[in-house]
Amino acid sequence: MNKSDSDDVFTELTQGSEELQEFLDRMREQFPAALFQLRAGNGRLLPPEFNLLQDAAGRAVPLLISPEEGIVRINDAGGNLHAVAVPQLSAILLIKLPDSSGIGFDNPALSGFISCCIDLALLKHEQRILKLENQQIQRQIKVLNQQHYKLIEDNYRQYRQLQDREKEYAQKLEKEIARQTSELRNANVRLEESSRLKNEFLANISHELRTPLNAIIGFSELLAETGLHGEQAEYNETILAAGSSLLALINDILDLSKIEAGRIDLEKEPFTVAEVVSRVTTLFGVPAREEGVVFAAIIDEQLPVQLLGDANRLQQILINLVGNATKFTSDGTVELRVDLAGEQDSEVLVRFTVKDTGIGIPVERQKAIFEKFIQADGSTTRKYGGTGLGLAICKQLVSLMRGEIRLDSIPGKGSTFAFTVPLFATPAAAMAGRHDVPLQQQGAHRTRQKATVLLVEDNQVNQRLASIMLRQQDCEVLVAADGIKALEILKRQSCDLILMDIQMPRLDGLAATRKIRELESSPAKEQYAGLRMKTAPIPIIGLTAHARKEDEQASREAGMNDFLSKPISRDKLGMTLGKHLAKLSILPWKEKDVRHLTPDRLKTN
Amino acid sequence: MPAAEDLNARFKNLKTLPHVAVRVTQLVNSETGTMQDFEELIKLDPVLVTRLLRLVNSPYYGLTHKVESISKAVVYVGMKNLRNLVTVEALRVMFAGGKKEGFSRKKLWLHSATVAMLSEMIARRIFGMESEDYFLAGIMHDIGLIVEDQVHGEKLLEACSLYLSGERQLVTCEQETIGTDHCQVGAVLLREWMLSDEILEAIRSHHDRKQEFSVTSIASVLQIADFLASKLNHAAIPGRIDSLPKHLAGHVRDMLANYKIIIRDLPLEMAKATNLYEADDPA
Repeated sequence: MNKSDSDDVFTELTQGSEELQEFLDRMREQFPAALFQLRAGNGRLLPPEFNLLQDAAGRAVPLLISPEEGIVRINDAGGNLHAVAVPQLSAILLIKLPDSSGIGFDNPALSGFISCCIDLALLKHEQRILKLENQQIQRQIKVLNQQHYKLIEDNYRQYRQLQDREKEYAQKLEKEIARQTSELRNANVRLEESSRLKNEFLANISHELRTPLNAIIGFSELLAETGLHGEQAEYNETILAAGSSLLALINDILDLSKIEAGRIDLEKEPFTVAEVVSRVTTLFGVPAREEGVVFAAIIDEQLPVQLLGDANRLQQILINLVGNATKFTSDGTVELRVDLAGEQDSEVLVRFTVKDTGIGIPVERQKAIFEKFIQADGSTTRKYGGTGLGLAICKQLVSLMRGEIRLDSIPGKGSTFAFTVPLFATPAAAMAGRHDVPLQQQGAHRTRQKATVLLVEDNQVNQRLASIMLRQQDCEVLVAADGIKALEILKRQSCDLILMDIQMPRLDGLAATRKIRELESSPAKEQYAGLRMKTAPIPIIGLTAHARKEDEQASREAGMNDFLSKPISRDKLGMTLGKHLAKLSILPWKEKDVRHLTPDRLKTN
Repeated sequence: MPAAEDLNARFKNLKTLPHVAVRVTQLVNSETGTMQDFEELIKLDPVLVTRLLRLVNSPYYGLTHKVESISKAVVYVGMKNLRNLVTVEALRVMFAGGKKEGFSRKKLWLHSATVAMLSEMIARRIFGMESEDYFLAGIMHDIGLIVEDQVHGEKLLEACSLYLSGERQLVTCEQETIGTDHCQVGAVLLREWMLSDEILEAIRSHHDRKQEFSVTSIASVLQIADFLASKLNHAAIPGRIDSLPKHLAGHVRDMLANYKIIIRDLPLEMAKATNLYEADDPA
């Protein structure tokens, strides 16, 4: 864009002559004596009031000038008119000197002065523009500065805002985490509760199952002795076998659920390893031999004779392991070895090893073998039976005893299960109180006398079963359906021993026992024919379906002498009766062939 | 102005408002927006991201560092500048196409860009004020013409020829053929765009000869810039130039030397901003 363009923009607003006017003003300032007029490119004159290019008569004076020429004298009437081109303004400057001055532009000094004046006026104009430009730049700088500060401020604001948001987000996150955590915790509590309820249910249902099963097994045992012919005996044998394995299964489940619910308390009683081992040997020796398996038990001589611990549970583990070993060994050897693995302070570390030459366990199954319901492989169940709970129970029991169980097995060659448990060694004297068994045996040679037993039991099936079992033990049986009935009977009749169910309607076993004990030590005793003559408290044996420690505790506190858990096994009943009646010199039971005890029955208490 | 509303409704059936540009404008107004919000929003349109970064890095801003992300752009040039760039991009699309005898969108776009640039220069150089809103008003002031062209192309042409052949104002001719004018139509459209009231007022009144706005207001600067752009052969409807309202003419006369400097420097500034207003490049 050139100068004239920019002028065009504003022509409408101005006459476009401001610059020329300014130039004229400056010239006049410099040289007040002269008369100036500008002739613009379009021929307009400034100031327009007169025309220097006209003589007094109004005739035009010719103006011929080129920009390069400098100041030229115009041939006018007065002879003092000069002109010079000012290309910067696209105009021609006309200068009329005073007529009287007598000087002309042929004087070089004057000519120089005028051109200096022109330059100065132009420069002044330029200076003004520059000044304005400078002002504009200053304003822009100011704006940029402002914007700069605003930017900084705004960036800081954003920074804070982002920080706030982040904080808010973090808080939200924390809250959410807390909420989820508490939700999880609640869910966990609910799960634990539901698991506990499930365990409880399992325990209860197992007990409930055991009651009818008790009847099935008991009656088929009784049935076997009624002189069955071949086929009948075979069927009965099957019923008995099926009942026994069902009972074993229920016992396993019950055991496991009790262990998992933490409801097992280990006993800490003196025992000898030999005793435990011999019981296991008794169980498996003969059947193993029949199967063509050699069963051997070896006890390390270094082992202390008496130890303190839970013999029953140890025995249970061994029965499981040896049972498995014989089951999976069709011919070869099963070896049970007990040795001293170490000693620390008063504790000895006892290692039990059960080694067989059976089918072995595949490597990939070895790790899982101690899990619940896991067997060496799925086909095992079909071929060999079993619940898959045995080893899980063993592992749980061993760890309950603070011990460890390990498995080494080569498929096809055999397996070795070994577990170590720390046990306290005890002085031999502590064993003194445990000579019940020899006592019983002594009693076997005494003269017999029929004992009278009062059976207090509300369940009719159990009533019948227990009555039959008692009669088989050569006892007279009196039956009462609950505690109140029992007390009524005692008013009229005498008995040698009371078999008392714990859970009964009206007056339960515990309350009835407390009542009897109370009567025995009070004058009211005289009103009871059954108690009147007694010098010692009458033995009361509790019966319960709940083989729980706390039940046993409660029954002893109520004054019971002993405790039997259902289902009642004949052998156990015989032993218990013997123990208490022997003290009274009444030995009622028949010496019978000791049938080999199945593991389940041993486990029951 | 029911006619203007109606026109806008019909326009929006044909073209959707540039969503990102509207949201960005809202964000700037909200005063709680952050560079992250900006980035999130603009990221929706990857092409826009590329173009914006190119504009931010153009000589127009003269940054010494190369800006490579939208959030950095917010930090360096500020939200309002970025909003202007997003708007320019959105309008470029709206102004595209539509070549007709008597009305050219392309010429209108050049006119708008010139007015925007002049508004910015006047605000900054003469009044020493921040200029983003002046630029925005300049680039958007004739958007009403686009709406009219889209919906009533023929009637707009009629109005243009009435205007060129007579003595009357363009807005008067529009009222006659269309029933409304581009100032009202633009104001209605831009209300939805969430522009500030001052910008809306300026656009609504940029052909108003009666109201006297303060010289430094966006409305006044817009009128001056509109006038100067037309004088410089970038008129919205080439062929006639409307004169400035008296008080503004007086102001320009008073500040003549200053305005002359602006006119002298305009080509240079326009060259720096070529990227902003020129049609899409081959890339």
